[in-house]
Amino acid sequence: MRHALRIVRFGVFLIALPVLGHHSFSAQYDSTKVVTLTGKVTKVEWTNPHIYFFIDVTDAKTGKVTNWGLEMGGPNALMRLGWTRNSIKADDLITVEGTLARDGSNLANARSVIMTSTGKKMFAGSSEGTNP
Amino acid sequence: MKTRLNLRVLRTLGCFVTILTLSCVSAWAQFVKVPPAAVPQSNGKPNLAAPAPKLPNGTPDLSGIWEPPTPPKYLRNLAADMKPEDVPYQPWAKALVDARADGSHAGEESDANCLPQGVPKIGAAPAPWKIVQTPGVIVILHEAFNLWRQVFLDGRQFAEDLNPSWLGYSIGKWDGDTLVVDSRGFNGKTWLDQAGKPSTEALHVTERYRRKNFGTLEIQITIDDPKAYTKPWTVTEEFRLAPNIELLEFICNENNRDLIHLPGGSTK
Repeated sequence: MRHALRIVRFGVFLIALPVLGHHSFSAQYDSTKVVTLTGKVTKVEWTNPHIYFFIDVTDAKTGKVTNWGLEMGGPNALMRLGWTRNSIKADDLITVEGTLARDGSNLANARSVIMTSTGKKMFAGSSEGTNP
Repeated sequence: MKTRLNLRVLRTLGCFVTILTLSCVSAWAQFVKVPPAAVPQSNGKPNLAAPAPKLPNGTPDLSGIWEPPTPPKYLRNLAADMKPEDVPYQPWAKALVDARADGSHAGEESDANCLPQGVPKIGAAPAPWKIVQTPGVIVILHEAFNLWRQVFLDGRQFAEDLNPSWLGYSIGKWDGDTLVVDSRGFNGKTWLDQAGKPSTEALHVTERYRRKNFGTLEIQITIDDPKAYTKPWTVTEEFRLAPNIELLEFICNENNRDLIHLPGGSTK
């Protein structure tokens, strides 16, 4: 897990807080806890008020698989950034940089997504300061 | 005038038909294409600093799609431009804001529950909104949660006992180039910002809309809620024109997974 899950703590976090329109970001996520997760997409919920997708992350040491939820901006904000509902699909391999949930659940707010197959990096409709 | 209105209605209908048609084509993979808006040009580039447009009768034309600043500082803190001690809280309101400061009540906020944000927070939420202007009524369409406000310009007065509502009842009048909107009849259930400034049913919001130039709409907002604040207080927000987008559907309750992760959130 330690290899798959890298948590970096910053005294000063320079990236702007993601914008969530319908609830307080800082109450749900800890912007000082950044996580990078790599895994296979198991489900995509292209829905309001926020997109959720789920990935299976394998612990390189033990082989244990953990399913993580990733939240992004809403569909409208993502579409204005060039995403479509088919940008991420089940079985895609991706790497996500995100911010961990405060409640300790396997949940993070995605800042960016890198598609393993193409290397293409997409911002997740929130950390770039766009819409909810 | 009638012909012009008819043309406007036809144009609006045309837009809806176009969007509907596009959305029915299964092959379309890209975001709806929006025809370029009529934006003044300068040296071949859009000039959003051009003078604010006016209608043929001289009334300022506020119509268009507007967006709050990013990051949405007035959503997080309506008094972002004030010293914290200058917000004239009643003692109970100050105690409540202090209790909400650590985020431990974030799940109680109306919008976290997909309920309306209230006024003025709905304008500061990070989703575009559209002003549709007619002589007798101005309609504000908010993409956020598919909500709307009506501002009546026909000279009517407030009813004596307004039904409490999330977004209030609004009447407006022109003061020179400024649209002055009075809103009352709120339900007191909304926070004025994510910091948790409370409102009560006594809330009276005065908004002064002034289009400073083609691309900038300024709204001076006065909060007058004597049950929560000892005196009225005023902030000024600016919004930018978004000439190349269209509003999209946003049904918040489609899949609100966040509430169970928010402190104070209900799991019902």
